[in-house]
Amino acid sequence: MSWEGYNYEDVRRAAEETTSHLTPVSLHFLENCVSCALCEVNCPYTPVGEEYGPVSKAEPLRNIYRGKVNILPRLFPWLFGAKLPKTKEELDKWVDLAYHCTNCGLCYITCPFGIHSGEMIKTLRGFLAKTGRIPSLLKLMVDAETSGMFAENPGFRGLWEDVIRKTLEVANVEFDRKGAKYLYMPSLAEAMITPGAIPATARILSKLGLNWTMPRNPLSIRAPIGSLAGDDESVRVVAKRIYDYIKSIGAEYVVFSDGGYPYTFFRFDLPRIVGEEPSFKVVHVVELLVDALREGKVKFKQTQERITWHSPCKMGRFGGLIEEPVEVLSSISQNFVKLKSHGLFSKCCGGGGSIACIVPPTQEFMEKVMGIPLKVSENEKAFLDKLYRDMLIAGREKVQEIKESGASTVVTACIGCIHTLGFTTRAYDVKVTLKTLAEVVAEALD
Amino acid sequence: MDLLDLAIYVLPPYVVATLAFGVAYRLSRYLFLWKRGYSAPRRARPIGKLLVGLVVTFLDPLVQAAKKRKSDFVGGLIALHILGVIPLIFLLSQHVAMFSYWIPLYSLLKPFAIPSSITSASQYFFANVLPASEMGWVFTNSVWGPLTLILNGDLLAILAIIGVSYKLGDKLVRLYHRLRHVRAGDFFDLALLLSILVTGFLATHHLPSPDVTTYRFMLGLHILLAELLVALLPFTKFWHFVFGYWYGKLHEWYELKFNRGSL
Ligand code: SF4
Ligand code: SF4
Repeated sequence: MSWEGYNYEDVRRAAEETTSHLTPVSLHFLENCVSCALCEVNCPYTPVGEEYGPVSKAEPLRNIYRGKVNILPRLFPWLFGAKLPKTKEELDKWVDLAYHCTNCGLCYITCPFGIHSGEMIKTLRGFLAKTGRIPSLLKLMVDAETSGMFAENPGFRGLWEDVIRKTLEVANVEFDRKGAKYLYMPSLAEAMITPGAIPATARILSKLGLNWTMPRNPLSIRAPIGSLAGDDESVRVVAKRIYDYIKSIGAEYVVFSDGGYPYTFFRFDLPRIVGEEPSFKVVHVVELLVDALREGKVKFKQTQERITWHSPCKMGRFGGLIEEPVEVLSSISQNFVKLKSHGLFSKCCGGGGSIACIVPPTQEFMEKVMGIPLKVSENEKAFLDKLYRDMLIAGREKVQEIKESGASTVVTACIGCIHTLGFTTRAYDVKVTLKTLAEVVAEALD
Repeated sequence: MDLLDLAIYVLPPYVVATLAFGVAYRLSRYLFLWKRGYSAPRRARPIGKLLVGLVVTFLDPLVQAAKKRKSDFVGGLIALHILGVIPLIFLLSQHVAMFSYWIPLYSLLKPFAIPSSITSASQYFFANVLPASEMGWVFTNSVWGPLTLILNGDLLAILAIIGVSYKLGDKLVRLYHRLRHVRAGDFFDLALLLSILVTGFLATHHLPSPDVTTYRFMLGLHILLAELLVALLPFTKFWHFVFGYWYGKLHEWYELKFNRGSL
């Protein structure tokens, strides 16, 4: 199977597998949409085109579902919109739709019926993956992560070793130490995109006087990256590997500095995937900081700099950490300012859900790091070029908010957000410094 | 037996049976799919905030619509739902009388019944004409008082017809734009609702002609179409006001607010 191919048998089998795991919640998402299209108003991709509104992007999954699960649509598919892609072009269109979604969840809270179209679009990606349609770079990373090969790539190794060296300069860490109460879990992706966040977090943990450790070698590229492609099998393999490692350390708390999907994945999804109630608690470093601040255990150097906080969708909307970063940052800067959409409805940066990780400039960067040239077909190249242009449109509103805030530094805690905001602020010529929360805090530590 | 007799005396048991089957079928699917899974410990948030969050969860889409899609807010929500079909279905005096016949407890809502036309209220409030009959007094002295100038079947039906027509128009535009979420069922449901509203309005006004046969036909047709809607309720998107809306928003509150603490 390849990006270019089309085989109806594969499509049919993929549809069969995709509809074989219904839950009450996914059934609700599939069945109870009244197609009012209100979800469109907040989706970052609607400005790219009406066809990218959440309800329209989720419709292909409903097309699959109706034909497999309901009796009347089986008998009269044309009347009930029960269909599978019949041609390569149609399949390509479905790919285009599925990869114009960051799974930010704005549609979920905007919908009068609580339908999370983003989650359905993720399932649709799973269907497409089963037909051979995964963007090449994402596929490469999923395979490398599942097999563990990523750890052997000299480029990746170099980046990781660099970060380890910098970490040792600021903190006296004993790696992989069994019995540590706190286990810090940085990822290889952080070493690539926000390398400063890892030593910064190490500094914070040491400053807080915690009994902590971290892995000497990365355990994944970034959480199970397969979850971005809807590859459940890869997710299970990688999650289990990391879970076993955490258990081998016996930590009470697992700490994340990346507030993107790794945090919510380990905090909320892991128990379901490994089928166990974990014996540890997953926290983001901001939670430790808020506790320490409230207990008077930490003090910050004050700054007058006008800083703002971009809330990553996973950490805020899906992780419940909306006001905690504000509490920490406003105790650092007296000029802290909230963005217009701060809160539950915080606007997405436009590049999550793997989009910013697969667009052409990232591909070039990854090729350099890995030392592997990646060949993509003309067809896929056209798709990726368009995706990049569209991502910049999707990120426009966030950049506008940043501009209006007048902030000189934008702080966030998701590497995907930092990566995307790098592209979008440059594209709209908004000059701001982008920093991770851990870096800002570490700089302000007395 | 004419259409009215058929609709009133013959069909109701079949309609109720189909509805009951449909409701049982749809609800049972949710029950059968439920499996106990492992979940993360929830994030502690104060109960007061969680309750406010519950109300806000239901209000959020309305606020978003009011801010960002005004046409839908006015046409779809206010005209069609809030002022249109909801009070019409549940409080129009004829409907209250009918529901009370089937479900005696429903008669508790009689004081809130809405008159079918503006006539008695407008005469009473504007021309100072006292109602000649007992029935007239019931409406002019109802809890709605002068509000019956607005809250009456005629006006609400017109608003609801405008609302449904707006929705139909919106679907047609979307169809023209080849948006893939527009489906045949949307048109069927809206057309059915529109026919019920129009036939109800015509029957109340003894239109298109005042003779008894036409009246019985129009009222019969109105009731028959309403019965069709009730029977199809679990199999169409009309299911949203019985189940989808409540389940969806409650689940969203449970997942995001209660479990993850996103307030
Ligand atoms: S807002 Fe909800 S019900 Fe309306 S179209 Fe979007 S997903 Fe469907
Ligand atoms: S999850 Fe976000 S990007 Fe995806 S459809 Fe919903 S609002 Fe749009």
